[in-house]
Amino acid sequence: MHTFIPLKTLSFILGPLLLYSCSSNYHLVKSNRTEYAVTKEVKADSSIIRTYQPYKLKLDSQMNVILGYSENLLEKKMTGGESVLGDFFSDAALAEARKTDPQIDFTMPSTNGGLRNDLPSGAITLANVFQLMPFENELIVFEIKGTEVQSLLDYIARTGGQPVSGLKMKIVAGKPAAVIINGQPFDQTKNYHVLTSDYIAGGADGISCFKKPVASKVLNLKIRDALISYIKETQARGEKISTKLDGRITHD
Amino acid sequence: MINRRKFIKNGSIAAAATALSIDSIDALANGGIRKLTILHTNDVHSQIEPFAMDGSRNQGLGGVARRAFLIKKIRAEQQHVLLLDAGDIFQGTPYFNLYGGELEIKLMSEMGYDAATMGNHDFDNGVEGFYKQLPHAKFPILVSNYDFSDTIMHQSTKPYQIFNKGGLKIGVFGIGIELKGLVGEKNYGNTIYLDPVQKANEVAGLLKNEHKCDLIICLSHLGYKYSDRKVSDQTLAQNNDHIDLIIGGHTHTFMAKPQDVKNRSGKLTTINQVGFAGINLGRIDYYFESYRGKKSLTSSPYMISDQLDAV
Repeated sequence: MHTFIPLKTLSFILGPLLLYSCSSNYHLVKSNRTEYAVTKEVKADSSIIRTYQPYKLKLDSQMNVILGYSENLLEKKMTGGESVLGDFFSDAALAEARKTDPQIDFTMPSTNGGLRNDLPSGAITLANVFQLMPFENELIVFEIKGTEVQSLLDYIARTGGQPVSGLKMKIVAGKPAAVIINGQPFDQTKNYHVLTSDYIAGGADGISCFKKPVASKVLNLKIRDALISYIKETQARGEKISTKLDGRITHD
Repeated sequence: MINRRKFIKNGSIAAAATALSIDSIDALANGGIRKLTILHTNDVHSQIEPFAMDGSRNQGLGGVARRAFLIKKIRAEQQHVLLLDAGDIFQGTPYFNLYGGELEIKLMSEMGYDAATMGNHDFDNGVEGFYKQLPHAKFPILVSNYDFSDTIMHQSTKPYQIFNKGGLKIGVFGIGIELKGLVGEKNYGNTIYLDPVQKANEVAGLLKNEHKCDLIICLSHLGYKYSDRKVSDQTLAQNNDHIDLIIGGHTHTFMAKPQDVKNRSGKLTTINQVGFAGINLGRIDYYFESYRGKKSLTSSPYMISDQLDAV
């Protein structure tokens, strides 16, 4: 720890140190800014590739499995109050969840922000599904009062439409109108069985209607697994995913 | 935390002597210009490989190996470099789902990141999921406005870190976004979110007044700007006294150039953010002049350029 330093040198060093430790020694005179685009023109560092190669090989072997096919690009771009991707996502979640709970009236399994990537036209791989739904969220059915459903409908309308299935509505001046749930006009005095994710139920985006449910049922089904099953089952029937916009949420 | 009075009282001669590097002796003698290069990323979101060539908007862009090449090259040219990240290291590709963020943290350590803060997606496998990957981190996780006391991470993060680069003292601290409503409740558990502007001022004040830092950098995951009153980097820039640079994240904002905001004390707080997924690497070179031999100690506005100096 202790280094021998001649006393003379020390006073030379410590003098200025004590003086200058009282304030910042330097002041800013200039800043130059730039940004590097990380494109294919930039060489790759081979030692980094060596580090990730074993991870990549294992991942590729698992993730490049083709689950099924889609006739068209499933994109999250909104048209009116819906997107093809949101429709697909919600239809798949509802279909898979209804296998264990046929009582479900409708679903909002995610917010638009939760749909992380488009699904391509053609082959859909496991990697594609992971990129669409990277989160580990699971599906839960809540029985909630009509008044709580109303607040969810208000949220959907206020935000210009969200991914839903089993629900049809118009957005008029930012409010829900002509609401049809599971084929019937919405009745605020009734209780409804709503399928959603643990993420939304936990209050995502300020949604609070699932906080005090009449009843709830955990399905032990992750959203991603529901999507995977749905695509695989479509493929097993010899069919392709063919989701089209159907006007389930329209504006004005 | 060492306060200055304590340092003077307890600081032995040996400690004081070792605190002086050759560079600082040189600076004291000559009063020369000091240069510091900041490199930064945000929201890399597990983008290990470049985006796939699948017709998507960002196809072929990014990739850790290319970023590492740039970083190595710059480090070879520049003596004093800090490499920083503003959070959301995790989530976005199957690498995260399969390996839980281990590879992301390992590669950041290999690239020589000096510090990072936490984004909301760094909680995606819970506080435990982030904690589990920390043994792979050779850099500190800086967060000053999350109180982790009642979680497994109670000893895993630091509010700030001071880096000594060629006689310059650079204070770096982290600020995180409100977790409620953004992160699943069970994922953030007992983490307590503290007011970001208040905390940032407290820490920046400490770095400036107590630790006498020459430059203060905030790694922020608040987001660049919002249409409502939600606290953002704009809010923080306008309502602080001592932050020189906010390296932002969360909103995946591609800025044409850094934004210079007049802060509460009339000085500049610069905001920069470089999109997401490692598509870009940000760089800011700061030049400092020694006070020694100068009569005026008032800080005049400094020169700003959108180009680097020729070496």
